[in-house]
Amino acid sequence: MKQHRLQIALTIAALLVCTFTISKIISLSKIQVDFAGETLYNVTHKYYYKTQENGGRIKWFLPQNNGRQHISQVALPKTTQALASRELHNENVLGEWLTSENHSYGELEYSYTFSGKSQQFSVPTHFENPTKELAQFLTASEYVQVNDPRITEVAQELSKAISSDRKVLENVYNFVTRIPTAPIHTRTDAVSVLDRKSASCNGKSRLFLALVRNLGMPSRLKGGLILESTSKRTSHVWVEVFINGQWIPFDTTNNHFAFLPANYLEIYQGDESLLTRSSKMEFDYVYEMEELSSVNFMGMTFQNVEQVSSFSLVHLVQNKLISEKNLFLLLMLPLGGFFVAFLRNVVGLKTFGVFLPVLIAFSLFETGFGLGLLLFLFLIFLVGAVSRPFQSIGLLHTPKLVISLSVMVVIMLVGSYLGWAAKIPWLSALTFFPIIILTISAEKFSNLIVEDGFGKASGILFQTLIAVSFCYLILSMKSLGTLLMIFPEIIVMVILFSILLGRYVGFRWTELIRFKPLLNFKTA
Amino acid sequence: MFSKLFKIENPKGVMGINRRNLELVYKYNHPKHYRWADDKVLTKELLEENGIATAKTYAVIKKTGNTRSKWEHCKAYDAVAIKPANGCGGDGIKILKKDNEGSFRSGGKIWDDAKVYKHITSIVSGFFSMNSSDSCLIEKCIIPHPFFAEIYDAGVPDFRVITLKGTPIMAMLRMPTSKSDGKANLHQNGVGIGIDMNKGILTQVYDGKRYSMTHPDNPTPINGKKIPCWKEILALSKKTAKVFPLDYLGIDIVIDATEGPQIMEVNVRPGLGIQLVNRCGLQQAIEDQF
Repeated sequence: MKQHRLQIALTIAALLVCTFTISKIISLSKIQVDFAGETLYNVTHKYYYKTQENGGRIKWFLPQNNGRQHISQVALPKTTQALASRELHNENVLGEWLTSENHSYGELEYSYTFSGKSQQFSVPTHFENPTKELAQFLTASEYVQVNDPRITEVAQELSKAISSDRKVLENVYNFVTRIPTAPIHTRTDAVSVLDRKSASCNGKSRLFLALVRNLGMPSRLKGGLILESTSKRTSHVWVEVFINGQWIPFDTTNNHFAFLPANYLEIYQGDESLLTRSSKMEFDYVYEMEELSSVNFMGMTFQNVEQVSSFSLVHLVQNKLISEKNLFLLLMLPLGGFFVAFLRNVVGLKTFGVFLPVLIAFSLFETGFGLGLLLFLFLIFLVGAVSRPFQSIGLLHTPKLVISLSVMVVIMLVGSYLGWAAKIPWLSALTFFPIIILTISAEKFSNLIVEDGFGKASGILFQTLIAVSFCYLILSMKSLGTLLMIFPEIIVMVILFSILLGRYVGFRWTELIRFKPLLNFKTA
Repeated sequence: MFSKLFKIENPKGVMGINRRNLELVYKYNHPKHYRWADDKVLTKELLEENGIATAKTYAVIKKTGNTRSKWEHCKAYDAVAIKPANGCGGDGIKILKKDNEGSFRSGGKIWDDAKVYKHITSIVSGFFSMNSSDSCLIEKCIIPHPFFAEIYDAGVPDFRVITLKGTPIMAMLRMPTSKSDGKANLHQNGVGIGIDMNKGILTQVYDGKRYSMTHPDNPTPINGKKIPCWKEILALSKKTAKVFPLDYLGIDIVIDATEGPQIMEVNVRPGLGIQLVNRCGLQQAIEDQF
C-alpha cells in the first residue's frame, strides 16, 4: 500500500515536471529560433543638446534586421516637445527628432539590443557584368574621385595582365589594406589618401571604393559601429562590392576580406553621416555598448528566454548575482552526484565517497584532464608517502588528518615556488587544486592502504578515477549547463530518478562477475 | 532491466548488495539497534543476560584509569584475548598466552605489564575504532575443538550462520589457510566451506575462485564430514536471533574444546560471499525456509 502510494506520487510529480518543461519548450520554440546570434549587445546612443534660436533637429540612421543581425527592444527617444519619427532615406531608415523650443537643453537616448553573427562570403573568380540598375554604384563623387587620372593609374597598375576578377579585387584590397590606419575623424577623400602615409577608415574605404568603381565593380560605402563593451564616439565605415547578385563586405581598415565579424553593427549604406543635426545647436554624443552574456542554445539567447519564461536561472546570471561558471558548477553537482550514484549502485564501482569524484572532476577543469589526473595522482602518492611515518607512530584520526592537510599545503606551496623558479608550468599549476578535496582523497587512500592493503586501495583509487573521467566528460558538455540554466526543473527530475535508483534491487554489474558461477549467461 | 537486456538468468536466487540492503538489512534491522551488534561489549552483555554461551568476559575497560586493577585480575588466567569493542577486520585483537615461566607471550614475544597497558590504552582511546573512544574487552581465549585440527591446525575457524526472523537460513564454515595468517576471513585468503544445514555436514570448499573437495593445506576430502554439536549450533543461533532486536543477522560461532559452541559476534550486514560458498542464493534459501 505504502509502495503503491509512493509510485503514484512519483508518477504525478514526474508528469507535472514534464508538462511544465514541455510547455516551456513549446513557448520557447514559438519565438524566433531561426536567428542564432553569436554576440549580444545593448547599444545606447546618447545625444546631449542645447538649442538656441529656432529650436533644433537631430537626424540619425536606425539599424535594421538582416540576415546576420537582429535588432530588438528598440526604444526611440520620447520627449514632451517632440517625437522622433522614422522615414525611409534611400534604402536606409532615418530617425528624426525635432524641437521648437528655444534655449532648452536635454538628453536623448535611443537604445536597442543587437544580436549578430559573423559571416564569411566566398568570392568567385569571375564577376558578372553589372546591370544598368547598378550604374549608381559606379559613379564618381566629390570625395570618391573614380575617374581621377591618379586613381585610374593605380587601378591599371593593380589589374595589369590579370584575368581573374577575384585576383584584381585582392590586389586592390591588399594595396589599400597596407596603408597604415590613423585615428583621423575628418572626412577624407579618395585621392588625398594616396598622398598621405596613413588614413582613417573612411579615407581608406573611399580609396578602395574609387579604385573598384574605376575597375567597373559596383560598390558602396557601409556605415555602422564596431561593438565592444565600452563607450565611444567613433563609428566605422567599410565597403560592400556587388558580386554576382550579392553585396560582399570588405573592411580594409581591420583587414576583413569578404568577411564581417559578429560584433559589426550595420546601420546605413552610402556616403552618409551617421548623425546630423541643425547647425545652431550645441551638441555632443556618445555610443554606450554593453555585451550581454549570450549563451546559444538551440538558437536562443538569454534575452529570448527571459521574455518567454520567468522560470529560468538566466536572471541570476544576467543580474550578476552569480557567475555563469559558479551557477554551472552548482547545477552540475546534483547531476554529477546522480551519475556517481549510478556508477556505484548499478555498475558497482567503488569510489572514494559519492561527491568526491564530481569535485575532483571540477578541479580538473583548471588544469586540463590529462595533466590534472597526473597531478592528482602525484599529490596523493606524495602526501601518502610523506604522511606515512605519522601513520605508523600511532596517532588519533583527526590530528592525523590535520598532519596530512599541512603536508599537502607545504607540498603545494613548495611545488608552486619551484615551478615558478624553474619555470615548470605544471608544477606551478599545483595550487589550482582545491586543497581540501585533495587531502580527503589522500587520506581516504592511505586509510584504505592500512585497512585493505595497497593493491585493493589502488583498485578503488583506479575506480574513483574512472568515475572522475565520466564526470569530467559530462561536465565538459557546455550545452548541458545551458540546458540546466534554462530548465532548472531538471533538478527535480534528478530527485525523481534518484528515487528510482534508490529502489533498484538488481545486480550491480560487477556482481555479475562475482556471482558468475551461480548465474546463467545466455547470448540472445 | 539489465538482466533482461542480456538474458542473464538467476536460477539459484542469488542476491546482490542492492537487494540485500533494501529487502533485508533496511527492512529487518533498524539502525537504532545496530549498536547491539556493533559494540562487542553490548553484544556480550545481552548474550550473558540471556544465558547464551559466549566466551567468558574477564574484564571490560572503559577508562584508562581502571587498567591496572582490571589487568591484575586478568593475570590469573593462562590465556586471554584482548579486543577493541568496536574494532573491525580483526584489528587490535591480541591473544596472550602464558609460557612455562608464567609470563604472557603473543606471537612469540614477551608482553610485560607495560606493553599490555599501552595496548589497552590505544584501544580505549579509539585507535582501532576510528572513533574518539572505545571499550577494551578482555575475555577467555578460545581453544578450537579438535575437529578443526583434522582439517587444518592453526588459527580459530568459525561458523557463520545467517538468520532471518529467528530462523537460520544459510551457514558456512570459515577456515584459515597457510596463506591467511591465521585469519578465517574469505577476503584474507581464508576458505569458506559450505554446509548442508539439514544434515549438519560439510559440502565443498570455496577459495574465492574455485570449488574443491579439499582444504588447500590438507589432501583429505571434507565433503560429507559431520560437524560436531551441529544441533547445538543451530539452537544457539535461534536463541541468539531471538534476543537481538535485529531480524536479519550474521552470527559468528566457534566451538571451544571444553565449553562447546560459543557466540563470538553478530553482524547486521553479513556479506554475500556465503552464497558462493554454498552455491545457493539467499532468495532461494529464504523461499526454502519460509
